[in-house]
Amino acid sequence: MKRKMLCTTLAIMMASSLIACGSSKSSDDAGTEAAANTQGDMENAVITIWSPSDKESIENWWAEKIDEWNAEHPDMLAAREAIDRSDSYAYDNKIATAVTSNDLPSIFFVDGPQVSYYAANDIIVPITDYFSDEIDDFDPATQAQCTYNGELYAISATQSGVAFYYNKDLLKECGVDTDDLDSRTLDNPITWSEMADIAKKCTTDSYVGTHIIMDHGEGIPYALEPMYLSAGKDYISEDGTTADGYVNSDEAVKTTAYLADLIANGYANVDPITDEFLNGACATELGGSWDVATLEANADFDWGVTYYPVADDTKKAVSPCGDWSAAVSKDCENVEATGEFLKWLMNTENVASYADAIAKPATRASSYDEECMAAYAEGPRALFVEQLQNTAAPRPRTPSYATFSTDYAEAMTNIFSDAASTKSVDESYIKEQLDSVAESFAEDYNTYYAK
Amino acid sequence: MAKIEKLSGRKRDERIAGYVFALPAVGLLLAFLAVPIIYTIYYSVFQYQVMRPNDILFVGLENYKKLFSDSDFWISLKNTFYFTIVVVPVQCTLALVLAMLVSKKYRGVSFFRTMYFSPQLTSMVVISVLWTVLYNSNPNTGLINALLANLGMEPINFLTNEKTAMNSIIFMSAWQGAGYQMMIFLAGLQGIPKDQYEAASVDGATPWQQFLFVTLPNLKGTIKYVIMITMIQAMKLFTQPYVMTQGGPRNSTKTMVYYIYTQGFQKGNFGYACAVAAVFFVIVVAMSLFLQKVTADK
Repeated sequence: MKRKMLCTTLAIMMASSLIACGSSKSSDDAGTEAAANTQGDMENAVITIWSPSDKESIENWWAEKIDEWNAEHPDMLAAREAIDRSDSYAYDNKIATAVTSNDLPSIFFVDGPQVSYYAANDIIVPITDYFSDEIDDFDPATQAQCTYNGELYAISATQSGVAFYYNKDLLKECGVDTDDLDSRTLDNPITWSEMADIAKKCTTDSYVGTHIIMDHGEGIPYALEPMYLSAGKDYISEDGTTADGYVNSDEAVKTTAYLADLIANGYANVDPITDEFLNGACATELGGSWDVATLEANADFDWGVTYYPVADDTKKAVSPCGDWSAAVSKDCENVEATGEFLKWLMNTENVASYADAIAKPATRASSYDEECMAAYAEGPRALFVEQLQNTAAPRPRTPSYATFSTDYAEAMTNIFSDAASTKSVDESYIKEQLDSVAESFAEDYNTYYAK
Repeated sequence: MAKIEKLSGRKRDERIAGYVFALPAVGLLLAFLAVPIIYTIYYSVFQYQVMRPNDILFVGLENYKKLFSDSDFWISLKNTFYFTIVVVPVQCTLALVLAMLVSKKYRGVSFFRTMYFSPQLTSMVVISVLWTVLYNSNPNTGLINALLANLGMEPINFLTNEKTAMNSIIFMSAWQGAGYQMMIFLAGLQGIPKDQYEAASVDGATPWQQFLFVTLPNLKGTIKYVIMITMIQAMKLFTQPYVMTQGGPRNSTKTMVYYIYTQGFQKGNFGYACAVAAVFFVIVVAMSLFLQKVTADK
């Protein structure tokens, strides 16, 4: 019997290993892809960098900058590896794995709200000294997002935002006054009810009225947080210690119900395809600032963009912000060289050329004086800059953000799916889901961070 | 030891050669399976946040206590069992039927064999992305719902309705996986002596009787093997919910491996994730032993 059990266990282990080998193809593929997007020689570099893989213009920008630095600093060679993000948490998982094996690069890019998480866990080190004389040139939202416990832990070259895009051709077809939308200002943005009204009018057999689900990961808390702030409550308390009474507050339930109602009525898809707005499958969208460049290059229809919608009762204008920021890791062996590189990487000229390549607003005020940033003086890009400078609110700064983000995205997916299936909005279910987010946050915070 | 001493020089050399040949495989098995299993069990008794590797706290069986009162654990376990119980017979039956269809010699059979096997050659991630589009709930963007709409039917929220999400994943998984099992069955079918069919035919056995009394008994070993590997593969379900549903809606596609992943890597609760993984390992071994017992030759 013992021998039989041993044989079976061994058979299971062998079968498991065979299956594991078979199913590892995707990650291998990802590795190959990343290796193909490596700039410089990672093996021999003094300064190593990880950042999410990006479009061709950004990959080219990195190649050019790494070559430029290496030509001028042959004793401090830099190399960068592009890591696949997979539209979810794949990049974060790579960081987590490297933390356990003490194998982090000198610099890695961190999404804005994760700065607190990594800082609180001593995964990244303060870089205040390197930027003390020029930090005021960076916009306040960037400073706030990258600061934890009074120290600067990361720095980003670009900012991001979300606004309300509309397909003028489809809106006109449905009898919506696009001139009115074109004329809106930051003092007079569209309200939630106006947004819902447009979405309702523009839902036809061929397309839906709007698009509110950016992705299945961080995109959900990122793009939707201003709705909650406009209604009166953030996801988490300002000191980052509790979500109870915030993400599950009456205001949050009301806000979530409004969003779920768009799904329940069929005005927005619960499982939107990629580039739904660009493909004409929806008439409007809550889209990112990066969509401007995509639409300029590819849209075969007339489109416009206006400010992020506000709650009807408060009319408080708030907009998303935050972007990937460079941080120096705990495993960095050449802190001096890395600090010098980072300072160079984030100089006015590089920030401007990076912002131009990635088509996002720059974080440095002085960068807008560079010629390549001329496009940000007017049009959709200028709208995003104006919104960032006046209404941007960074995501919560809390060491438990990773847990919050995962649970909130899951809860919202459940709520939206429920709305799509039942074609109705169940506020008690919303409350139950948001309560579980608050509970899970409390458990994580109290277990690991509460003193 | 005494036995070894009795062996002749040549036999002893052969035995040593056997051990040497087995060494790389055993080494890899130990390095990539045994050691991780031991580490998993070791870390399961610690409070270990993945971002705080220097701040690990021994908590004894606390993670295990928490696990048994964790509703998500039980839901994940239930979903994993449901998937396994449904997909194993469906996929194995489909594979056997396909194998029998392509075991005959007729014009174009190689084409069908290739077609049925081809989903195996594609990454599960790619397949999952493809089927996510096929299953899209909007008839304007989802192919299956477009077909339903053309037939005058209401669209189905395949992946966003808790009642249909897991079954949609099961259907896709069976379609994707059947090709591999088909090839194993095919090898088994080709090993059955032709004279047994001829004898059965002479005795007046119908095709169905030939299948029942010749094919199935001869395939017994193959069937056991296929069921075992399909079951283990099914218990490890991860990619499909990760790509297609993220465990939702309402946790209806949250599986054990997906739950371990979210706890360990997304939330950083490494100690707890190890405890879940350890319990799951025991369950899989127990199920395999059970299966071994019920399918053992009497």
